[in-house]
Amino acid sequence: MRLDPLTLKKIRRFRSIKRGYYSWLLFGLMLLLAFFAELWINNRALLVYYEGQIYFPTYGTMMPGNTFGLEYAYETNYRDLQKKFQQEAGDNFVIMPLVPYNAFEMDLRETEFPPFPPSWKDRHYLGTDTIGRDMVARLVYGFRICIIFSLLLLVVTFAIGIALGCLMGYWGGKFDLFFQRLIEIWSSVPFLYIIMIIASIVVPSLTILVLIYVVFGWMGMTWYMRTTTYKEKARDYVMAAKALGASNTRIIFHHILPNAVSLIVTFVPFSVAGGISGLTALDYLGFGLPPPTPSWGELLQQGTNNLHAVWIVASTVTALVVVMVSITFIGEAVREGFDPKLHSTFE
Amino acid sequence: MSVKKLLSYWIMGWLLCFTTSIDAAEKLPNHIKWETNDTAPVWADPNAKKGGTFRDTIPTFPLTIRMFGPDSNGSFARVLRRNQLRLISYHPDTEEILPQLATHWAFDDDRKTMYFKLDKRARWSDGPLVTADDFVFGLEFMRSKHIVSPWYNNFYTKEIEKLVKYDDHTIAIVATKPDPDLPELVKDLLPQPKHFYGELTKDFVRKYNWTIKPNTGPYFIDKIKKGKSITLKRKKDWWAKDLKYFKGRFNVDKIIFTVVRDQSTVFEYFKKNKVDYFSLTLPSYWHEKAKNLDIHQKGYAKKHWFYTNSREPPIGFWLNEDKEVFKDRNVRHAFAHAMNVEKLLKTLLRGDYARLHNVTTGFGKYTNPQIRARNFDIPKVEALMTQSGWKRGNDGIWIKGKMRYSVRVTYTSDTHTARLAFLKEEAKKAGVELNLQRLDGSAAFKSFLEKKHDVAWMGWSTGFRPQYWGSFHSVNAHKPQTNNITNTDDPEMDQLIDSYRKASQTSERIKLAHAIQEKVHEIGSFVPAYKVGYFRAIYWRWWQLPRVPATRSSESFFDLFADDYGTGGLFWLDPEIKKETQQAMKTGKRFDSKTLIDNTFKAN
Repeated sequence: MRLDPLTLKKIRRFRSIKRGYYSWLLFGLMLLLAFFAELWINNRALLVYYEGQIYFPTYGTMMPGNTFGLEYAYETNYRDLQKKFQQEAGDNFVIMPLVPYNAFEMDLRETEFPPFPPSWKDRHYLGTDTIGRDMVARLVYGFRICIIFSLLLLVVTFAIGIALGCLMGYWGGKFDLFFQRLIEIWSSVPFLYIIMIIASIVVPSLTILVLIYVVFGWMGMTWYMRTTTYKEKARDYVMAAKALGASNTRIIFHHILPNAVSLIVTFVPFSVAGGISGLTALDYLGFGLPPPTPSWGELLQQGTNNLHAVWIVASTVTALVVVMVSITFIGEAVREGFDPKLHSTFE
Repeated sequence: MSVKKLLSYWIMGWLLCFTTSIDAAEKLPNHIKWETNDTAPVWADPNAKKGGTFRDTIPTFPLTIRMFGPDSNGSFARVLRRNQLRLISYHPDTEEILPQLATHWAFDDDRKTMYFKLDKRARWSDGPLVTADDFVFGLEFMRSKHIVSPWYNNFYTKEIEKLVKYDDHTIAIVATKPDPDLPELVKDLLPQPKHFYGELTKDFVRKYNWTIKPNTGPYFIDKIKKGKSITLKRKKDWWAKDLKYFKGRFNVDKIIFTVVRDQSTVFEYFKKNKVDYFSLTLPSYWHEKAKNLDIHQKGYAKKHWFYTNSREPPIGFWLNEDKEVFKDRNVRHAFAHAMNVEKLLKTLLRGDYARLHNVTTGFGKYTNPQIRARNFDIPKVEALMTQSGWKRGNDGIWIKGKMRYSVRVTYTSDTHTARLAFLKEEAKKAGVELNLQRLDGSAAFKSFLEKKHDVAWMGWSTGFRPQYWGSFHSVNAHKPQTNNITNTDDPEMDQLIDSYRKASQTSERIKLAHAIQEKVHEIGSFVPAYKVGYFRAIYWRWWQLPRVPATRSSESFFDLFADDYGTGGLFWLDPEIKKETQQAMKTGKRFDSKTLIDNTFKAN
């Protein structure tokens, strides 16, 4: 693929803003780690060597304990299996991921009660939450759900916002007027109350939550797109295209939209950040995804309710701050990068 | 006024005279022996001081303050219901009968009729005296279709034959059949203020949603801030305030129930002295969150642990038999064997709670001690499920055709989330998937009554004697707004319940109750979880309690009315200690840190 020189220039400019660029690398790494979380945070082993056979339990269906000569038919406890193999000192071995817990299982003991503080020995690197679930696992899997939520939300709201905003700006007239009023009315619906009401009647799943957010949050983008389209439509090149007999579709997709890209791109990071904080807030209030889904909001709530277990609130807040700040830096750099008026300063 | 109208009034007047004279014609039999009780020990402190404001919280705002009809059975209904006196009550510890609205009572030999002499001093909060007519109207009220309470309609038609008025202050209530627990049956028939309601009409439910009705209890509703708070005030000239069993009780002048949805917020409110007590019954609070409280260490607030010995609410999983998966009894039994309650009690709950075995626990002889809850047992789950033709799917969850053993568990309290999340993880090992659904209290209860749930995680409040008809009789199955939330529909069960309700001998009733409990166990649509068996609280040191701070079956130190017999309201405020403490809180002066444990009623 060959990028046109203008885009290359924008990317170069983006890379030259170091703060944003490194944030982007960091965020990319976090995304990568989160999407392959099963490989390093999991109660399933990475690899089991048993009686001359090699098993890879990470992905795929669960392997019952009797696969490995244990007496039960439910999912193998690989941590115990590892200990057992070590005691037997035979050829069999188990390789566990770095954090050998998943986000749901509770590490409960007979004599102590959770939350357990961070411990290298137990491999709870950030401790556990109030019912003994590993903090690292909860954080990473929670992040993954959060990011999936906000990306889904981003795609759908932008699709609606761009399409509608573009049409409003391009067609203008009654169509524009009608949707302007509709959006104004729709915007005044108290969004949080709606969510609370819905959440008290049905248990919101990820799709339902995205849907609700889309239904009440698609308006933001339309305004910007409408103004941009209005502005671009009045430009000479659009007139020229029209004079050449270009169809409306062609004008919108080939002339106006490419010129609006910089605007759209600038909004992406902030919209992602908005999605993350939105879901976290809802979970914090208890109206988000149903328990025991790992979620930052729920961890924040646990943390603030259990300030004596400071590792819960500390690690959640740190994670939240790191993600939010890096997204903000990326957004800032993108805006700078796509700003056509780089050197034209007025004095 | 037209002549015609005058004439009709005149005729109606005559008719009314005529009917009342027929009633009055009933003669009180001579052979009955009036009883009363003024010798029972008092359980309140007669020297308690009156005055002060008590600040309490409620988790959700009631959907209505009407005590009958749709949505009237929420948690605040208890307060409303108990704020009116009954004919008689029971002594909280000895369980002997005590006078309330009736000063004297008598039994007929047929064990069907109970006579009452009403207290001539009894008054409604809006002035008029409580008379026999209010009881006559009370029965009419309970039988009226307009109150939209099928349970009450049915109960007062099937169980009570009639109410006889002898004069303005003497009545008899006649049951349809001899009953060994006759006082228990008739005492719930409350007088209703006819002067207030007038003729009942179809719009009863809507009309009285937020109308404050006159009552006979010690408090009246003073203010309702919808969605926010309800304030009760003490009636200064309450007619019963100096009676023996009411002396030293219902002491505070004002009680404010504020809606605070979340327990941990209530705790913060308490620490900031915006609420007067906080329940520490939950293990996580007693053992952790309230462990090193500054206000406790400095002695401003006391911790108090009280062991009870009372009827235990059946807390656990209520499986909806109308759902496809739960139609099979084996699957229901497997559900019980998949719940690792024992480990839950030992680990997360720190051994404070105990396992509940039976739907009827703590009812003395009525409890069948043979019944033991099903234990967590994966081989048993496997045996039961394979017997019914299920097999484990790829993820270890049982499947059969298109069905998957994945059920939704609906619950209300945030503090239960951790417990259910624990059980969910353990159940996965047994091949049962639980999906947790937390709903707002009112919404959850509505969905239970409408039978929309798969599994309800809840407990019912308990009565004086075990009751089964509402929860397990097929008459109440498969239709909304009844308490049979398991949709239990079993002819043998119906038969047992019918005979239980008909039986007049105590021994026979006990036998039948045992059989019913066995049947409940066998049907397996109720999976008992745990019982608490104590309560604990932390409260500001200016709140005072009697020497024995609560009764055998209390639920809290600060229950305004306590159980259905209204035995609560024992606490009072000492203004001097309050002043002293508040000053000390400013200057930082310390008092002795107190943690009290009361074993008076501890069960072994």
